[in-house]
Amino acid sequence: MSNEPTATFWPLGGMVSKAGIALIIIDMQVDFCAAGGWVDQLGEDVSNTRSVITPIAETLALARAAGLTVIHTREGHHPDLSDLNANKQWRTRLHGLGIGDMGKTGRILVRGEPGWQIIPELTPLDGEIVIDKPGKSSFHRTDLAEQLESRGISRLVVTGVTSDCCVQSTIRDGFEHGIECVLLEDCTAAVETRNHEATLEILRAFGGRWGGVADRTAFAAMLETADV
Amino acid sequence: MFENSTDHFGRIDANPYAWPFDGEWSSGDTALLLLGFQSGIVRSLAAEAERDTAIRLIEAAGRRGLAVIASRRGQDPEGGALARRRVALGDDVPAKGSADWQFDESMSLPPAAIIVDHVGDNAFFGTGLEDTLRRRAIRNLLVTGLPTDGLVHATQRAANDMGFECLTVIDACKGTSPGRHDAQLRITTFGNGLFGAIASAAAVETALENHQE
Repeated sequence: MSNEPTATFWPLGGMVSKAGIALIIIDMQVDFCAAGGWVDQLGEDVSNTRSVITPIAETLALARAAGLTVIHTREGHHPDLSDLNANKQWRTRLHGLGIGDMGKTGRILVRGEPGWQIIPELTPLDGEIVIDKPGKSSFHRTDLAEQLESRGISRLVVTGVTSDCCVQSTIRDGFEHGIECVLLEDCTAAVETRNHEATLEILRAFGGRWGGVADRTAFAAMLETADV
Repeated sequence: MFENSTDHFGRIDANPYAWPFDGEWSSGDTALLLLGFQSGIVRSLAAEAERDTAIRLIEAAGRRGLAVIASRRGQDPEGGALARRRVALGDDVPAKGSADWQFDESMSLPPAAIIVDHVGDNAFFGTGLEDTLRRRAIRNLLVTGLPTDGLVHATQRAANDMGFECLTVIDACKGTSPGRHDAQLRITTFGNGLFGAIASAAAVETALENHQE
């Protein structure tokens, strides 16, 4: 048995079929990682989050070619903000421009607005799953767990932004659901590099107690040896 | 003081903002959350000091009538996917009923404490805890527990998504390493308090002592 890449990519090891794996791309939206989006309007540096667009596009192409299930998530709220927690609105308004407020790319993180869209480089194809999420975890108040279960998917390759926030929340919830998650470190970023590196260190601890860390080269090698 | 009266408290001196965000917290709408203060983990993390700090908070919460919630992590007797993964990776989760699984013996919980049993790290996951808190109109959580990078952060992330206003009591939590403890607290306070605020137990106690009926 020479299935080394498959066995080392997943902390849990084991033989995996491609039908049981999904690629998830978290929150690669204009408001988080495009020039003119919300984070950019706040005067924060989007170079970290923009730096992973090309690596994610390459990973997405690999996943599509291999026939993996592809999932995109979008953080956003209903136009009436009925699904926006009061403390979340308060916290974001301290920045001067909060969720639901009118910015240069429409109302910040409101469903349907220009800033809420997935960036054009990573536009979902017809048939790919798009999860609209009001929270940080992709599992919170969404049907992601049911979507995975109905397709027999138990392993998740995780990419997107930001590593310390929505990505870590999604991996921790995936762990609770018994889903094996592996984060591709060259396909995720945070606004603060220090918090990004700490998130990777925490995930790597204890052999991947909550999920694993790999990169897109290892992902490609794993796909080579995975069963169809 | 009437038995059912509600005490209102002043804001807690916390980072990155004076907690809670809207200044509203009282004995009726706030709970002290104790995560994983079990014999085995207190011993393995050498978290006696953090446990003793939590005990002080239990006593202060008792004097003011705050709800107390204590969670225990234990093996899943049904052996679900998460439990099988933990065994495969050598994560030693104590069996229910074992000595390591019991709450630390020096921690005496009030009779009315709510006990939550969970198999993963998130005390909300599959436990009904969210419903329990909502039925009691609890909206603010004082979070303590072990480890910071395990039960504490997993549970606080879930609570934050649910809209509960959280304060991590930093000296009543201990991580699996000082670096991981500090990192999770830094991530908590990033961006005006991404997952809430953090404060010392002394700051919480000061606010609890300065109450108004």
